[in-house]
Amino acid sequence: MKYVLLGAAMAAGIATTAPAQDITLGRFFGACEDAGTDTTTSTGEACIIQSIINAADAELDGINITTLPTDWGNYYDQVKAAYAGGTPPDVHVMHRHRVPEFAGLGAIAEISGDLAAAGIDPSDWSPAALDAVSFKGGIYGVPMDFHANLWHVNMDLMAQAGLVADGKPVLPTSPQELLAHAQQFKDATGQDYLAADFAQFPLGVRTVLALLWQQDANIFTEDGTATINTPEAQNAVTAITQLFDAKLANPQLNYADSQQAFLNGEAGILVNGTWVVDFYTAEAAKEEVGLNTYYVADFPTLFAKGATWADSHMWAIPASLKGEQRAAALKVMAFINDHNIDWARTGHMSVRTSVVESAAYQGLPHRDEYTGTAAIARDTPPSERYGAIQDVLNRELQAIWLTDKPVSDALADAEIEVQDLLDR
Amino acid sequence: MNRSYYWLVIGLSIPAFLWLVPTLWMVSLSFQPNEVLARTTSSTLFGLIPLPFTAENYASLFSFGQTPWWFMNSIIVAVGMTLGVLFVSTTAGYALARMDFPFKRTLMIICLIGLMVPEQAVFIPLYTLFADFGWHNSYHALILPRMAVPIGVFLMMQFFKAIPQDIEEAARLDGVTWLRIFWYVMLPLARPAMMTLAILTFLYAWNDYLWPLVSAQQREYFTITLGLASIQSNFAQSEGLGRVMASGVIASLPVVILFLIFQRYVVQAMTVGGSKG
Amino acid sequence: MAPRSRLSQTQAAWLLLAPFLATYALFLVYPFCRGIWISLHDWNLLAVAFNPDAKEFVGLRNYERVMWGKNITWSLFNAPLLQGLGLLALVLSALLHRLGRLSRLNAIVFGVVSLLLVFFPGFYPDEGGRWYDRRFWPTVANTLVFVAFTVPGVTISALLLAAALNRETRAMGILRTLFFLSQVLSVTVVTLIWQIMFSPRQGLIANITKTFGGTPINWLTDQQFAMAAIVIATIWWSIGIAMILFLAGLQDISKDIYEAAALDNARGWKAFWYITLPNLTRTISVVVILQIILHFQVFGQSHLMTQGGPNDSTQVLVRYIYQTGFRDSELGRASAMAVFLFLIMGSFSIIQFIIGRERD
Repeated sequence: MKYVLLGAAMAAGIATTAPAQDITLGRFFGACEDAGTDTTTSTGEACIIQSIINAADAELDGINITTLPTDWGNYYDQVKAAYAGGTPPDVHVMHRHRVPEFAGLGAIAEISGDLAAAGIDPSDWSPAALDAVSFKGGIYGVPMDFHANLWHVNMDLMAQAGLVADGKPVLPTSPQELLAHAQQFKDATGQDYLAADFAQFPLGVRTVLALLWQQDANIFTEDGTATINTPEAQNAVTAITQLFDAKLANPQLNYADSQQAFLNGEAGILVNGTWVVDFYTAEAAKEEVGLNTYYVADFPTLFAKGATWADSHMWAIPASLKGEQRAAALKVMAFINDHNIDWARTGHMSVRTSVVESAAYQGLPHRDEYTGTAAIARDTPPSERYGAIQDVLNRELQAIWLTDKPVSDALADAEIEVQDLLDR
Repeated sequence: MNRSYYWLVIGLSIPAFLWLVPTLWMVSLSFQPNEVLARTTSSTLFGLIPLPFTAENYASLFSFGQTPWWFMNSIIVAVGMTLGVLFVSTTAGYALARMDFPFKRTLMIICLIGLMVPEQAVFIPLYTLFADFGWHNSYHALILPRMAVPIGVFLMMQFFKAIPQDIEEAARLDGVTWLRIFWYVMLPLARPAMMTLAILTFLYAWNDYLWPLVSAQQREYFTITLGLASIQSNFAQSEGLGRVMASGVIASLPVVILFLIFQRYVVQAMTVGGSKG
Repeated sequence: MAPRSRLSQTQAAWLLLAPFLATYALFLVYPFCRGIWISLHDWNLLAVAFNPDAKEFVGLRNYERVMWGKNITWSLFNAPLLQGLGLLALVLSALLHRLGRLSRLNAIVFGVVSLLLVFFPGFYPDEGGRWYDRRFWPTVANTLVFVAFTVPGVTISALLLAAALNRETRAMGILRTLFFLSQVLSVTVVTLIWQIMFSPRQGLIANITKTFGGTPINWLTDQQFAMAAIVIATIWWSIGIAMILFLAGLQDISKDIYEAAALDNARGWKAFWYITLPNLTRTISVVVILQIILHFQVFGQSHLMTQGGPNDSTQVLVRYIYQTGFRDSELGRASAMAVFLFLIMGSFSIIQFIIGRERD
């Protein structure tokens, strides 16, 4: 009996999807299973992107989109496994930092010749966006956003600590001032000044990287020499660790816990990305949430020049995709490109000039508070081993603040390992 | 039954309850509203009692979740693998236990060596092999590799060896063929051992994680174990805790029920197997 | 009886064996050989998938790159504790054999294991040297630590429970079921439950600690506790089968022995120590070795609960293989590690086999 039922279920599944072009779509951002097709009201990365996809599925004639599972942790492992197994998704999201790896091996398609036919106008993309999807002179994807690290601020706590002026938070301009503010904050409120996921995902790494770039240094050079064991890196790390040492921040919080601490009003500042602006805005409006007055600030400049970690999400198609299937996949990308304003609602920065200049975009909540971020956005030089390099940094930095490994030892070890990865 | 027995029961009930607490807590959380859980997980008695109560998490899970689909996949894979392992193990186990043929010893040794190969040690070549065949993202990709595990053959072989010779010999004298003896005489006798093997295989298949993780990338072929893992790595982001926990409950229900129905069998069969082996 | 189905015994046997042999050859023997072959190549997952010729034969270089280093030297005093322990065990096995407490085969096995304990920790990179892969041996060590805590934890608690629950009454039956229940949950459910159990904000453990005025522990992100957290979750999960195996072993001990002992006033703990344990040695060794083999392959707990962190303190071998293969695309290296895994597992199986033989 079970078999009959299963058989019927599967047959039904096949029958309903037979006539149209079936497009499989791979993405992360998390699951949102009841997103609906209204792209203008959904909130949060997962639900906004899923509502756009659902809308594309409904509105594009003859195209049926199946969203693949949305496993964050194993996303790139799975995409690679799918490519290697010959069954890559027809369209998938990726980060700009993965372009060298995927394009370099010929996995993803060069699409500069397909854009016009699909109705995508690359001249509307900002130069930085075009750069994000370019590799060796070709265009390998459709950019969707810039996302960067911001400082999310609890204004009530900051006011209590006397760190508000003209309705804006007063943020530090040097490592010394950072410590002083944090102490002042702790004395006034009894809470931690700053929280972030230092224990799991590489948000701590991105914070340190920003401080490194602010001194005009980097972790490796374009020609592949690791430069991690440097005075600049020491400065960047100690700027953060001084907070841990003085018990003004807790390095053991992971993503969920640090976020919860901020929303509960137990931390003045949360270092996190653009992707949570709309979520925190919504949370701050709720009666029962500890965070009431929410403000977004550009990552402050503690050293010589401004810099914050940034990356781009983009959509790509496999090089093996041909004919009608390819055309259909491109249409899906065009649809997503057309809904860039909806995606920007998450808090991400738009890649399209026409959107950036629109009133709708400028009127998004808190948008005017982090306009400086686009100018200071940075990332490490391109590398095929980006993921592994981030992992090395994450491990060694965690060793510093979670296990008291001496900073110079950790940096020396990180340099050796990153050099290994670059040489491989 | 004396006093010390009752003390023992009471004494053991405490750890048994503690043992159950994590599971109870999962069930209890799955019946609480997500908005409440976002703030606190210990509303009533550390959250062990589902108050405030809601069945919303289950309702949403079944109305637009992928969970039912993953659930079906797990059943297909687990049943398929169980049947496959039973077939392969009983036939080979019988031949090795009761029949004489050339190279039998060599074969036994080869199988013994196979016992030593952990599946985690071959998942990479298996992955490339299935990639060459273009077999990934299919039910047979999830089922076939696990049929090659020789442990089932050994289990059945041990069992068949323990069956008295005279039953078989009587049939042989009547001129019944080997295959018929196997089918009509031996298989019915082997029911308890097959039950054990079936339950162990089913549990194993239901819970397998690494191989589906590398082989199945499409939702159509996600098993519930894999699906749950994908939900977990997101759960800070969008989905409510209650709903994630509800998926966990749904994923566990069939194996728990299966175990409760057949537990007598599992324990008995293992006891028999243990004393005979 | 139709004459057409008259197969000879040999024919019938091979016919019955055919399905097993086919799957066995295709999905175990061949992949195993292929794994060794891959481990001898510089083999990028994606590159080879797009171009089968993109692999390069490198001989044993992957093994060298994973397990060896520059200026590696050996000394007896590198890890005095472990190596001392090994020496001690070596002397002990010789002694016990002399005294007739250990059969020759067991003494050899025991001796070889202790010798390895003296041998392996003795390697270290000398002045200016380094391991080529700084993560591999620590990963192996983490795996061993995990096994070293989990296996005794499971074995001892399962044994005690089995001894206490070894009565055919309804209450005992229910209790057995309760203890076994967690065993049937899948690894993802177990990690789901324990991840939230251990959470310092939302976790049950934290909730209870806070109620009694304590500060919650960051179980999963504190290096001191992360491995402990995984071990606890694993023990909770996998006690059931060990318990059942012990119960089966206990059934085999004749009731008469206990009755005779009771006359000598040996009850409760005494009976457990002098009767139950000696009669269960075989079951114990089977359980221990099965557990070692099982837990050496740990993956899900570390992958899902801690992502190997913090600072790699819960990174385990299978997860490293998975990462090397699928995140870093280096199938050659990953396969070399898998071969290493096989060698370790294989030696445990051989030990199990020898012990099994010995007792029969």
